[in-house]
Amino acid sequence: MLEKGKISHRQLTVLSLLYTIGTSILIVPSIMSVFSRQDGWIACLVGVVADITIIFIYSALSSRYPKLSFVEYSEKILGKWLGKAVSLFFMSFIFLLSAFLLRVVGNFMTTHIMPNTPIEVTIILFILVVIYAVRLGLETTARAGEIFLPFVIVLFLFLTVFLLPQIKIDRIEPFLEEGFKPVILGAFYYFNLQEQVILLMLVPYSNRPDKARNALLVGTSIGSLIIIVTVLLSTLVLGTEFTQRNMYASYTLAKQISVGNFLQRVEAMLAILWLITIFFKTAVCMYALSLGTAQTLQLKDYRTLTLPFGLLLVFLSLIVYDNIVSFISFTPKVFSLYATIFMVIIPVLLLSIDTLRASLKKEQSS
Amino acid sequence: MNPIDIATIRKKLGNSADIVFKEFNIQYDNRVQTVNLIYAEGFVDTNAVQDFVLETLMVDLPKLDTDKHPFLDFMTVGDVQELQSTDMMYHDLFSGHVILIREGTEILSIAMSGIKDRAVSEAMTETVSRGPKEAFTENIQTNTALIRRKIKNPNLWLENLRIGKMTQTNVSIMYINGIVTDKIVDEVRSRLARIDIDGILESGYIEELIQDAPYSPFPTVYNSERPDVIAAELLEGKIAILVDGTPHVLVVPALFISFMHSAEDYYQRADISSLIRILRFVGIFIALLGPSLYIAITTFHQEMLPTQLLIGLAAQREGIPFPAFIEALIMEITFEILREAGVRMPRTMGQAMSIVGTLVIGQSAVAAGIVSAAMVIVVSITAISSFVVPAMNMSISIRMIRFLLMGLAASFGLYGIILGIIVLVLHLCSLRTFGVPYMSPFGPYIAQDTKDTLIRLPHWAMRKRLRLINQNNLTRSKDKAPGPERR
Repeated sequence: MLEKGKISHRQLTVLSLLYTIGTSILIVPSIMSVFSRQDGWIACLVGVVADITIIFIYSALSSRYPKLSFVEYSEKILGKWLGKAVSLFFMSFIFLLSAFLLRVVGNFMTTHIMPNTPIEVTIILFILVVIYAVRLGLETTARAGEIFLPFVIVLFLFLTVFLLPQIKIDRIEPFLEEGFKPVILGAFYYFNLQEQVILLMLVPYSNRPDKARNALLVGTSIGSLIIIVTVLLSTLVLGTEFTQRNMYASYTLAKQISVGNFLQRVEAMLAILWLITIFFKTAVCMYALSLGTAQTLQLKDYRTLTLPFGLLLVFLSLIVYDNIVSFISFTPKVFSLYATIFMVIIPVLLLSIDTLRASLKKEQSS
Repeated sequence: MNPIDIATIRKKLGNSADIVFKEFNIQYDNRVQTVNLIYAEGFVDTNAVQDFVLETLMVDLPKLDTDKHPFLDFMTVGDVQELQSTDMMYHDLFSGHVILIREGTEILSIAMSGIKDRAVSEAMTETVSRGPKEAFTENIQTNTALIRRKIKNPNLWLENLRIGKMTQTNVSIMYINGIVTDKIVDEVRSRLARIDIDGILESGYIEELIQDAPYSPFPTVYNSERPDVIAAELLEGKIAILVDGTPHVLVVPALFISFMHSAEDYYQRADISSLIRILRFVGIFIALLGPSLYIAITTFHQEMLPTQLLIGLAAQREGIPFPAFIEALIMEITFEILREAGVRMPRTMGQAMSIVGTLVIGQSAVAAGIVSAAMVIVVSITAISSFVVPAMNMSISIRMIRFLLMGLAASFGLYGIILGIIVLVLHLCSLRTFGVPYMSPFGPYIAQDTKDTLIRLPHWAMRKRLRLINQNNLTRSKDKAPGPERR
């Protein structure tokens, strides 16, 4: 076993919750309003339903091999070479995703918080912290997650409560103006931003892998709820047009808070909340990447991979897209299709092949 | 046993002048025998030696029927032991025992300690307004007695050890059998047994040698000089390590949260102490982040301040030649120097320093345009806040980390601070203290154990002991408070 630590059922829930909030809380509102306009929250809701459905497939897959990670059982199911190829392909997806996450951090920080600091510095600083977390192991990261969770929830509730006075209900009307098509499209894009499949790398290290489905479901549901509320609030407070124009709509949203004349300019709170959640998302990805690669290549320790991967990620994140404009068009149009391969097609294939083989074996033996 | 040569003993002790050798003859077993009396000056009560040893041997012994009983029986003192070799003699000699050698064959060690100890006095470092005032002394026997007086139970067990090749210091492990987890006791025992050092002069030596994370700025061993705190920790299933010669008793395993608790929290009513604890955490937050937030906001995020305040601050900072970070650094280091000087300085000089501190550093520095008034306020609040941490060693850790966070704030603003805090929390979560996660009951989260952390629930609500420390005996009490009977 490469990972000796064990995380509890609750810790898995917390990690999947933070993972779900991840980047989404900042970038989803804008994307949703671009595609589904004022029905973004319905699109999110549909996306969440899809998310939860796919988690059932994931858990069906992982419950067949409760002691193994995604990478390990793909080798079991598909045989050594094909399995390794699929694993490495899967790793490339996580690698690319991590680079995107890093770039999003860099972009947000350089545009909103630290405009005079070069993006390279913010990215390097961030990846150093992530590497530190991954090297300390899953147990430590999960515990840190438990400690940060109350802060995330409190900050979120704080922002929500103080935005309530600015809501104008008519901004989400009319419902389903252009029928279901834009909603379904939005739902598809939303679904592909939640890369829950990567959590399958953590499931075998929870102390009750048989109950992992519960943990993933609860974590994802609460996390999604937070995102849906954010999307809803963006539309209700900022309106569709304004949300569309703001890449980081929820940050702009937090800027609207003004209670009396003293509680203003609290958008830093949202930045803190988001930094914490994206940290956990990146840490989980980085962890899955190092552990998965080490398992595929049968290395003795996954920690040695963190530094080289970190270095590569820094450079990849700088060239992964040219500018914001290409990011906005790339994420929904290309990345979501690319992600679908790993989020839906590969797990479904693995599950069906394994079920087929199991039933064949049963027939042979009987 | 070989006949013991007094001259050899004398030579081994280097003819030291403070070791008293007395030779005299007694009537025992119907013949005249030679007895040698050895003791260290200042260690024994000479009156007691006169009354109980010499008088017995010279006056009473000839009157008694001596041939039927061993020599040991005639000693009219409680703690007498027969020693098998001279090697064991020296430790007793320097623990206030009188050594009696009869005919060069039989060695008796008689406890006659007359060392002048400091009396049990009020605690100097951990003061409370309600609660017992007494503190430990330098004498390990007094200290164990002070603890036993609080827990009158046969299950309070004590193990003795001698650590230090030269000093042969008495060290005791104390725990309550049945509450403590045996695995942790074994771990403590084995770590203490592995210590290889010349001398132990204070419990700090042992703390440094047995702690889990030697490179961490955070203490993983708790210490206290209050018997009531140690008794409370023992009741929670922890293990106390007493060291002779110091009033500071160690406690393991030490969780992060226990450094934030004061003894008084348990003596005041639950609501009061909960509020005080929350106040304390606010203080810790300021102590840790006060200057760094000020630096980050004034240097990078001016937009976060209300306009009026921003204009005021900018006006103040107009004539200041340094960036906020340097300004803060100057003030923080000045304060640390003042604090350190205050500790080392003779008590009588205290007044002089407070004048220098307040007038010169506070007022004149602002008047001279070296630092801004706002910075003086921030640093003062931070300085005061850092003293709300009840445990001195934790307060120092927090102060050290404050400087790191200030550096991060100066270079990367809020972003740096948040990343710094994430690293800090990750580091804290990675620590263990004798196998127990340092951040429990928060990471890993154990709901039942959080009753006595950020707040304190009433005693009747805390009916379970800490789950990770007391693995086998969890129930503290079964019934609720015996309030007025409900009909």
